[in-house]
Amino acid sequence: MPVFKTPFNGYSVRFSPFYESRLAVATAQNFGILGNGRVHVIDLAPSGPVINELIAFDTADGVYDVAWSESHDSVLVAAVADGSMKVYDTALPPQANPVRSLKEHAREVHGLDYNPTRRDSFLSASWDDSVKLWTLDRPTSLRTFREHAYCVYSVAWNPKHADVFASASGDCTVRIWDVREPGSTMIIPGHEHEILSCDWNKYDECLIATASVDKSIKIWDVRNYRVPVSVLNGHGYAVRKIKFSPHRRNLLVSCSYDMTVCLWDFMVEDALVGRYDHHTEFAVGVDLSVLVDGLMASTGWDELVYVWQQGMDPRAA
Amino acid sequence: MATTQSPLPNSNDDKPQAVSEVVQQANQVHQEATKQSVPASVFVNSEPIREDQVSNAVKFLSHPKVRGSPVIYRRSFLEKKGLTKEEIDEAFRRVPDSSPSSQPASLNQDGQATSSNVQTQAPIQTLQPVAAAPAGIVSSGIIARRQFHWYHAVSAVGLLAASGCGTALLIKKVIIPKLKLWVRKVVLEEENDYAKKIDSKPSLAEEAAAAAKAAAAAAADVAKASQEMLNSKNEERRRFEEFMNLMDAQMQEMKSMSNSIRKLEGQANSSGRTFYDHDDHRASASSTKQSYVNGKVDANLQPGRSSTPPASAEPPHPKSYMEIMEMIQRGEKPSNIREVNDMPPNPNQQLSNPRITPRTKPWESQNGPRQVLQSQTSAEGLIQNGVDNGLNYLVDDESSTPWWQRKNVRITEIENEDEVKAVGPYGVRTNEQPPVQRTWVPPQPPPVAMAEAAEAIRRPKSAPKETVMQEQLADDQSAARPSEVSDELQRITKMSESAGAVEVNGTGNSTVIQEQENSYEGN
Repeated sequence: MPVFKTPFNGYSVRFSPFYESRLAVATAQNFGILGNGRVHVIDLAPSGPVINELIAFDTADGVYDVAWSESHDSVLVAAVADGSMKVYDTALPPQANPVRSLKEHAREVHGLDYNPTRRDSFLSASWDDSVKLWTLDRPTSLRTFREHAYCVYSVAWNPKHADVFASASGDCTVRIWDVREPGSTMIIPGHEHEILSCDWNKYDECLIATASVDKSIKIWDVRNYRVPVSVLNGHGYAVRKIKFSPHRRNLLVSCSYDMTVCLWDFMVEDALVGRYDHHTEFAVGVDLSVLVDGLMASTGWDELVYVWQQGMDPRAA
Repeated sequence: MATTQSPLPNSNDDKPQAVSEVVQQANQVHQEATKQSVPASVFVNSEPIREDQVSNAVKFLSHPKVRGSPVIYRRSFLEKKGLTKEEIDEAFRRVPDSSPSSQPASLNQDGQATSSNVQTQAPIQTLQPVAAAPAGIVSSGIIARRQFHWYHAVSAVGLLAASGCGTALLIKKVIIPKLKLWVRKVVLEEENDYAKKIDSKPSLAEEAAAAAKAAAAAAADVAKASQEMLNSKNEERRRFEEFMNLMDAQMQEMKSMSNSIRKLEGQANSSGRTFYDHDDHRASASSTKQSYVNGKVDANLQPGRSSTPPASAEPPHPKSYMEIMEMIQRGEKPSNIREVNDMPPNPNQQLSNPRITPRTKPWESQNGPRQVLQSQTSAEGLIQNGVDNGLNYLVDDESSTPWWQRKNVRITEIENEDEVKAVGPYGVRTNEQPPVQRTWVPPQPPPVAMAEAAEAIRRPKSAPKETVMQEQLADDQSAARPSEVSDELQRITKMSESAGAVEVNGTGNSTVIQEQENSYEGN
């Protein structure tokens, strides 16, 4: 399984929705505390387990997240720690990049999500307690959603309802929003500690998973949100990111500060179905490919990006 | 419907009636439809307002200490307790608004209330109560518990001193004269007693009684006065303690204020960042001297929120992480940072035209044949695309299965559990994108090649979905399928000649099929 070494500490990795072998990696210098950032666009070589870098973009501040456009195959958006977002187009010559700089947040932008159904808009989650809605063709945001009392760490569009999204915040709640409504439509006080990540189930649009500093992942049904459907315990430290599988209804992947990436089947009694401990530092980013079933990638503060097939050892040659 | 057996003159009436009835029904249906569309959203709270929660919230909001906190924190606290938006709004409505009742120091509260929803950061909000010092609000009665300032402390101390002096004076003035009086009386009595002992015995007695009465009265007065003194002293002490507690709280807030200010300054000078670590980091960083990494949040968190990390220790940090944190706190900048200009050279740069039409998602593709057509055209576009589309391997004839798509037998074991769903996307996808299909080689297509036996076994037990899939496949590409299947066979045989790897896969897949069948039958 190939490995890609980044010069800076990894923060996020995302598969391209257009090209099976392409990924984007967000990295930040000095663990993201202070320093530059870099966005890598990498390709998996078809012949062997090798990863080649297609192009890299430098930023003045650390990059915390990256998202591929769902409408343009060569466009990606990067969330930068100085509160701005940069839009890159890999089909243009490198000197023409970035093509946009969207600066409205007052604090670090920590999460990005591109709308997979309508493909025209994306959301940014920031430490200034707000979420903003953007489209590629406008230089300013369309909407600002400000209700959280603390940093918003993650935001996720609902895969079936193009207007609904969820945001996870350090105020220990997850809010469900509808872009047609002025405020949040539902508040789920999911955990006693900060909620770092949330994601919708791709096959059941009412199921949402939340990952928290309390080391657990909870699955909620929005129709009955007082009690979680399932609680997944097993990580040794805070769970940093979760992602439901685009191919399997019950499968989700998580990465944690305990340096492992875990696979869960939440409908099963013994939910932990896989554990990968290939990272030697915090595992901070994980993603499952939409195009290739079972293909997953992870990155961490050990400056390595692994891409492997589910069931195989990421460190195998 | 209207009466059917109506005589002729009424038939004309029937018709408009029928028409109007039909219109009414249509309206009803329309109304029902619109009504249905509104509650159909499952992403909205549909619970009724719970009165007990609202009353608890009202009690919480009426607490004086809560009233001093920004509105956003009060809301956040209630949300974490599980109240819905409607319940929280109702509670806010019931409690007199964030401005306090009749304090002259209400200027502050107004400032707070208006600023709580403004985009200023949360820590800055609590700067305001400290900044706006209401002067000279010392009233002899109840001093505002929120408004707190140094003046109040000083005046409280002064008051206590004054009351102490007053007490002493009063005692001097009251007790000593009374004592003197009493002593004088006694002495006088003795003198008189000696002079007119016999005569004035009854008068002595009277006088003694009178003196005793006076003394008793004086003693009672003294006792009362001293009791009053004690009470007032206690009261003063109590108030003083209250003041001290509030002072402490304010001190804490001010400390955190100064922290955040320092942090902000630091940020402005780009000398560091408050790293909003999650609680894990915070505990470790606090081992060093109070760092602005701890940042604003600990003191300013909404009431009731525990700012301590989960019970077990925080994760071990990389050494260099701690080194960098310490460097930042000392004010040093790590040396590996360079000036990068990441601004767009042309902010109006046109995005390049997309070369690929978006693919449907696996969870969407179960919806119908329309997507099939769309993605077929996209697949054709794929073939025409030349360089740098990541699909160059199509041109290669050897090992046309990229390494990232070969699968373990182990994985397909997991597939068995939700085989029905798994077949769904595969089933449709193999149909959708013929050129890509070759590279997919998911476990299922070989079963397709192995044919009808698998289908025949599956079909009687299959869920309706699968049969629908089969029908779709049959409908859409009845002509193409045989050729695809034969292509598969050809390719597989070719690959087995060249590498032999696929054979392993093939056998692996065949065993998989057996397992699938077994598990399916077992289900």
